[in-house]
Amino acid sequence: MMAIASTDTAIRSGRVTRTFLYLVLLLFALFYLLPFAIMVMNSMKPLDEITGGNMMAFPTDWTLEPWRKAWSEAQVGVDATGLRPYFYNSLIMAIPAVMLSTFFGALNGYVLTKWQFRGHNIVFGLLLFSCFIPFQIVLIPMARMLGIFGLAGSTGGLILVHFVYGIGFTTLYFRNYYAAFPTELIRAAQIDGAGFFRIFWRILLPSSGPIIAVSFIWQFTNIWNDFLFGASFADFSSQPMTVALNNLVQSSTGVKEYNVHFAGAIYAAIPTLLVYIVAGRYFVRGLMAGSVKG
Amino acid sequence: MGFLDIRNATKAYGSVQVLHEVDITVEEGEFLVLVGPSGCGKSTLLNMIAGLEDITSGEISIKGQPMNGVHPSKRNIAMVFQSYALYPNMTVGQNITFGLEMHGVPKTKRDQAMADVAKLLQIEPLLARKPGQLSGGQRQRVAMGRALVRNPDVFLFDEPLSNLDAKLRVDMRTEIKKLHQKLGTTIVYVTHDQIEAMTLSTRIAVMNGGYVQQLGTPKEIYDNPANLFVATFMGSPSMNLIDVTLRVEGNSVFADTTDAKGARISLPINASVNGLDGKNAILGLRPEALTDVDGSDARATQIAHVPNEVTVTEPAGSDTFVTTSFGGKDCVARMRADADAKPGERVTFAFNMDKAVLFDPETEARIA
Ligand SMILES: Nc1ncnc2c1ncn2[C@@H]1O[C@H](COP(=O)(O)OP(=O)(O)OP(=O)(O)O)[C@@H](O)[C@H]1O
Ligand SMILES: [Mg+2]
Repeated sequence: MMAIASTDTAIRSGRVTRTFLYLVLLLFALFYLLPFAIMVMNSMKPLDEITGGNMMAFPTDWTLEPWRKAWSEAQVGVDATGLRPYFYNSLIMAIPAVMLSTFFGALNGYVLTKWQFRGHNIVFGLLLFSCFIPFQIVLIPMARMLGIFGLAGSTGGLILVHFVYGIGFTTLYFRNYYAAFPTELIRAAQIDGAGFFRIFWRILLPSSGPIIAVSFIWQFTNIWNDFLFGASFADFSSQPMTVALNNLVQSSTGVKEYNVHFAGAIYAAIPTLLVYIVAGRYFVRGLMAGSVKG
Repeated sequence: MGFLDIRNATKAYGSVQVLHEVDITVEEGEFLVLVGPSGCGKSTLLNMIAGLEDITSGEISIKGQPMNGVHPSKRNIAMVFQSYALYPNMTVGQNITFGLEMHGVPKTKRDQAMADVAKLLQIEPLLARKPGQLSGGQRQRVAMGRALVRNPDVFLFDEPLSNLDAKLRVDMRTEIKKLHQKLGTTIVYVTHDQIEAMTLSTRIAVMNGGYVQQLGTPKEIYDNPANLFVATFMGSPSMNLIDVTLRVEGNSVFADTTDAKGARISLPINASVNGLDGKNAILGLRPEALTDVDGSDARATQIAHVPNEVTVTEPAGSDTFVTTSFGGKDCVARMRADADAKPGERVTFAFNMDKAVLFDPETEARIA
C-alpha cells in the first residue's frame, strides 16, 4: 500500500516538473524565433505599413514584392542589380573553399594520426593557431600576399583566404576523428598492398561520413557568414552576400525600404539554414562520435 | 637455413630495448607460437616479420630472401589481427578480395579465389554483408579468409582468439589447427594463453622481457623448462615449487625439505652428484606428478611416498586437486576423482621424481 502510494506521487511530481520544463523550453524557443518571425512578417508587407505603423503587426496586405525587389532590382552599391549576383558570388566562393578545406583537413588528419613523423605534434599545434588567431591581425599581410599572387579583389583570392583559414579547424576535426580510427585497419591495408592515397580513398574517407558533415556545416556557415574578409579583399564584382547586404541596408540614395532589407537578410540566411536542416543531425552525431569512441 | 629465419633481431624504441637478439628458425609448414606475458614483445616481433615495424639490428629472411626494408605487401605474408581489422565500409566479399585487387589480380580470378576461400571457411552466406552485421566468430572467419585468399608463404596471427568468449575460443582453436593440418602452411602465432600455445603449436617460443626464454616443442617446454620463468608460465595449475636443500650421500642426491608440520622429509633426486652438496635449490614438480599412491605413474622409475596433511580439496569432476604444504609453500597435487583425501587428514602423496626439475634460486636457471 505504502509502496503504491509513493510511486504514484513520484509519477505525478515527475509530470509536474516535466510540464514546467517544457514550458520554459517553449518560452526560450519563442524568444529565439521572435526576431526571425518579425523579419518574415515585415518582408511581406508594403513599405508604408512599416513606416506608418506597427512593426509587430501582421501584414494587412500580403505581398512578395519586397522579395522580388531584393533579389533582382534593389540598389546595391552603384547598380540596381538586386542581391542576385552577390548571392552567386558567395556560392562560387563558399563551395570550393568548403570542399578544399575539408579535403585538406581530412588529409592532414590522416597524416597526423596514421603517418606520424617527427614533430607531428608541433605541426598540429601550429595549425591550431589559425583557429584562435584574431583575423584582424592577418588582414594586411594577407592583402599583400593576395597582391603578390595576383588574386587581389577576386573570388579566387577569397577562396584562397577561406581555404587557408579553414584548414586549422578541419584538421582539428579530422585529426580527432581519425585518432579513434583503428590503426590495425591501416596496417591490414598496407599488408594488402594499398598505398598512402589508396588507403585514404578506399578505407578512411568512406568511413568519415559524420565528420565530413561536421566539417561541411562548420566551414559553410563560417565562410558564408564571413564579413571581414569579404569586405577587405573583394572588389565590386566579387563581393559576397554579406557585404552586399550591408551595402543594401546602408545605401544612402532614396528612401530606406525596410521591407526589402528584411527580405534581403532572409536571402542571406537561407543557405546556412538549409545546410543545418539537411545535415544538422549528422553534425551532432559527428561531434559525438569521437568522444564516445575515443 | 629455414623457411623463415630470424637472426639476431633486436628492436629498440629510442634507448628502450624491447627485443634482445632474437634467433628463431622456422621450417616450412611449422606452427610456431610466440607466448609470453603482456608487454614482452610478441607483437613487436610479429610486426617486424610483417614489415610493419623496422628491425633495429639483425636480419629476417623468408625463403632465403632478406626482408629488411621490404614493404609488407611484397613479403608474401598475410596477417590476422586481434581486432580482425575488417574494413567497415566494404562487404565481406570485398574485404576478402581487397588484397588481390591491390595486387592487380583480374576480377574473374579474384571471384574464383573468393569462392574457394568462402567454401573452405563456410562463409558463403555472409559474402554480401558488412563486417558490422557479423558475430565475433564470423568476423574471425572472414579475417582468416582475407589472409588465406592471398595464398601467402607465412601466416601471422596476433592473438586472433582473444576477443572471443571461452566456448567459441576453443572451437576456433580446433578450427585453426584443422586448417593448418589441411593446408600445411607456415604459421607464426602470438598469444598470451599458454593452453593455446600448447595445443596449437609444433614449436613454442616462450618470451619474457624481450628475451626468448626457451624455444622448443610443447613437450620440451612443458617437461624440460629451461628456467623458472618458463616453468611457472606454462601449465595450469602451475608447477609446484618447493624450497629444498640438496644433500649428497654416496652416489645419490637427496632434496631435503619439510612437511606441513615442519618435520624433515627427504626426496631422492636423479642427478649427478657434482657440486650439489649443501646447495639450496627450488624443486619443481607439476601437479600431475604429485598424486595419490594408486594414481601414480606405473612406468615411473622413482616414486617417493610422503605422508602429509591436506589443507584444501577441490573436486574438478575428472580429478581432485588437493592442496598441501611442503617446505612452507602450498603445493597442489592432482589426484584421482575418488582419491581418499579430506581436509585436515593425513594422506600419502606420491612424488614422481622422474619428472622433478631443479632450479637455482638466485639465477632461476635450471640445475637438473
Ligand atoms: N612506440 C613505442 N614506443 C616505446 N615503447 C613501445 C612502443 N611500442 C611498444 N613499446 C613497448 O614494447 C614492449 C613490447 O610491446 P608489444 O606490443 O610487442 O607487447 P606484447 O608482448 O604484444 O604484449 P600484449 O600481450 O599486451 O599484446 C612493451 O613494453 C611496450 O611498452
Ligand atoms: Mg600484442
